[in-house]
Amino acid sequence: MGDNDDYYDGDGTMESMTVSPEVTYNWVDITTDFFKHIQDLQLGELLHDGHLFGLFEAMSAIEMMDPKMDAGMLCNRGNPKPLNFQQAVAAGKLKIDDLDPSELIGIIDATMACIVSWLEGHSLAQTVFTNLYLHQPHSIINKTLKAYCIAVYKLLDCIRDCINKAQVFEEEDFQPMGYGYRLGSNPQTGSTYEAALEVTEQKCVAMLREQEEELNKKTRSVEDDSSNLWSALAARIRFTRMFYQALLLITKRDSTSGADCVALLNGCSEMIKVIIKTSGKGTQPVENSDSPNPMGFEPMINQRLLPPTFPRYTRIKPRAEALQYFDELVTRLRHAWKITSCANFHTALDFFMEFSRQRACILSRSALQLLYLSPSPATTASMAQSAMNGPVGQPRPHHAFVEILRDSVKSFVNPPALTPKSPMVSTPQAREFVENFLARCVRPFAVLLQVCGHNRARQRDKLALLLDEFAALQEEAESVDAVLSGAAGTEPRACFGTWILYHVLRVMIAYLLSGLELELYSVHEYHYIFWYLYEFLYGWLVSALGRAETLALVGTKRQDAKRASGRKQKKRTRPYAREGLMCQVMQNMCGGYFKALVAFKLQGKIRQPQSEFDNEAVRYKHRFAPLSVLTPPQVHYHEFCEMTQPLQYQNPLILYLGGCNHFQQARSLLDTITTSDPEVSELLKVAKTNYVVLKLLAGGHKRDSNVPPEFDFSVHRHFPIIKLV
Amino acid sequence: MNFRIEMTDGRVLIGVFLCTDRDANVILGACSEYLKSSEGETEEPRVLGLVMVPGRHIVSIQIDDTTPPQKYYYDE
Repeated sequence: MGDNDDYYDGDGTMESMTVSPEVTYNWVDITTDFFKHIQDLQLGELLHDGHLFGLFEAMSAIEMMDPKMDAGMLCNRGNPKPLNFQQAVAAGKLKIDDLDPSELIGIIDATMACIVSWLEGHSLAQTVFTNLYLHQPHSIINKTLKAYCIAVYKLLDCIRDCINKAQVFEEEDFQPMGYGYRLGSNPQTGSTYEAALEVTEQKCVAMLREQEEELNKKTRSVEDDSSNLWSALAARIRFTRMFYQALLLITKRDSTSGADCVALLNGCSEMIKVIIKTSGKGTQPVENSDSPNPMGFEPMINQRLLPPTFPRYTRIKPRAEALQYFDELVTRLRHAWKITSCANFHTALDFFMEFSRQRACILSRSALQLLYLSPSPATTASMAQSAMNGPVGQPRPHHAFVEILRDSVKSFVNPPALTPKSPMVSTPQAREFVENFLARCVRPFAVLLQVCGHNRARQRDKLALLLDEFAALQEEAESVDAVLSGAAGTEPRACFGTWILYHVLRVMIAYLLSGLELELYSVHEYHYIFWYLYEFLYGWLVSALGRAETLALVGTKRQDAKRASGRKQKKRTRPYAREGLMCQVMQNMCGGYFKALVAFKLQGKIRQPQSEFDNEAVRYKHRFAPLSVLTPPQVHYHEFCEMTQPLQYQNPLILYLGGCNHFQQARSLLDTITTSDPEVSELLKVAKTNYVVLKLLAGGHKRDSNVPPEFDFSVHRHFPIIKLV
Repeated sequence: MNFRIEMTDGRVLIGVFLCTDRDANVILGACSEYLKSSEGETEEPRVLGLVMVPGRHIVSIQIDDTTPPQKYYYDE
């Protein structure tokens, strides 16, 4: 492609051009000349200013009149210009008074569908604010609709506040942009802001309550079928009020609000059932129309507010699905509320992980964050960070989270340093060490909670980054343990070290497993992933738990000995028995897969990459790279080769049998768990099926076939069912 | 040099001329989009930034002549 730098020498003209908006132009038409003279250019030759512009810049230009890139095109597709609020009212297309209840129900249901579309990651301008009524709620005469529209403003603001505080969203989850709509403050009247129309939270709730009563009266006063319509409308207003109040309590959390919030959410659940049942009573969208309701919605109204990126076409979620979403959302919020009764950090962390597994929506994920820590784990983390970077010697700000972590260490390993009146904490130096360490723990652990709130796909990278921070904590924990046992003159006890190690191992395991869930590994890589989990991580986790139990027991004995000697020795409890058992189950499952995979490989059943394009050592290094900075040290590729060398000469049938035994072992361990748990039953199903499959293979079934086995993750996200085809 | 390009769908683009080729594909920098208004009301422009206008969609091209006349490259 011939660039044409020296075709003209007008470089200076471009740089001297500064255009201010007030400039009056003197346009001179050059169309004919322009089209004539460009004929002098060769095919592919560009005429450009070499200083300001090159091919690199050309790559980022958006192409006009390309429907995929040009958002403005849609405005001009022959359609008449969309009417704004005043125009639509003047044209009689928008009723602001004398609305039938069915029309109101239609508008409200469509608005709910818009809110759901927003919560699924679309922009506010293309969803909720296509509702013209929301452009000027104060100009609406119908009181019910006016109260509803004002409440929607407040509700949107509250939702955004909640999500912003929690900071667990990425661009694919949520668009926080407001596009100039004054959320939460004063709904607009035209384009001017009037402070006098400011609606407070209390006033908004009162307005809704008033409408509820009005509508209930109407329901009672009419005898015919229309009473059903009024009560359906009342249910919608009531839902809006309770949902808004519940979210307010969650977002501006204070400890006294507990019972209220539960009651409100329960009320929401009841109301949404009524709403779903009566959704047919409202006006319905016209078939094949983009508008979610015949009246009041103008999908193109905000097209010109959109940024010059490629247009994201927004299809509003169908009403039935949107109402279903609200129903589930309320259920998820009710479930998230249970975090408030998680007494210690371990159960809370388990709760966070379990909640994440259910792939909850952005709002409930955010609510969970706020419900556990106020204002939020994200804020706690950044506060801790700035305190660490602050000047030395300044008193640390006190985090409630420090106490949570202190309790966690105490209940996990019960170190003498955290026992009141222990001789060890009497030395100021030792106390300082412990306090410093706990303060340093705040950020990584708060971030860990925050990471659990992110969507599943984003968690993996964030876990890898977190492992770096935990590596630093591990070093610190070791030195704290050393100082403390030095001060007490006892043999070293790795109390803090064990506590950190336990969490590090869990993060490591979560990191490796997430690769299976996100389908990042190729089948020919599975064997070392499962090997690592089987041979090391789960084993280490089991022993960390065992060590913690021993340490805690020593601590308890020490305390008991100090107290009245007449007390009976406490019965030895094993608080982590269940967790340890699950670790053994997982370890056996991983062992089963590993042996099966090696045998598949030996029988040539797994497609290997062409060696000239692939290097297993590089892949291995890449897969385990985030684990390299920590203790326990990473197991390197050459070690992997050495350790698995003998298996290469095994009879595949023996290996299948070994794998089969692992699944059998996992199965019998799982059978000892009597409490019902979907996770357990899923694992049980996988273990049973794989046991049978490997048994068949061990018997020589399909031994000469080269058809690769299939790994089916539909039952469990991490542990596949092996299928022979 | 400011260009004002009218496109086949009636929109008007105003921006700094950066580049063209023999098919009259024009690249404009710091570009704003104006809707053609029939009643003469001026509407807020939409800021687009860097755009490429395919030659086949160009209806007319105008240049801004408020700055002292300069020798144009195509006058050669």
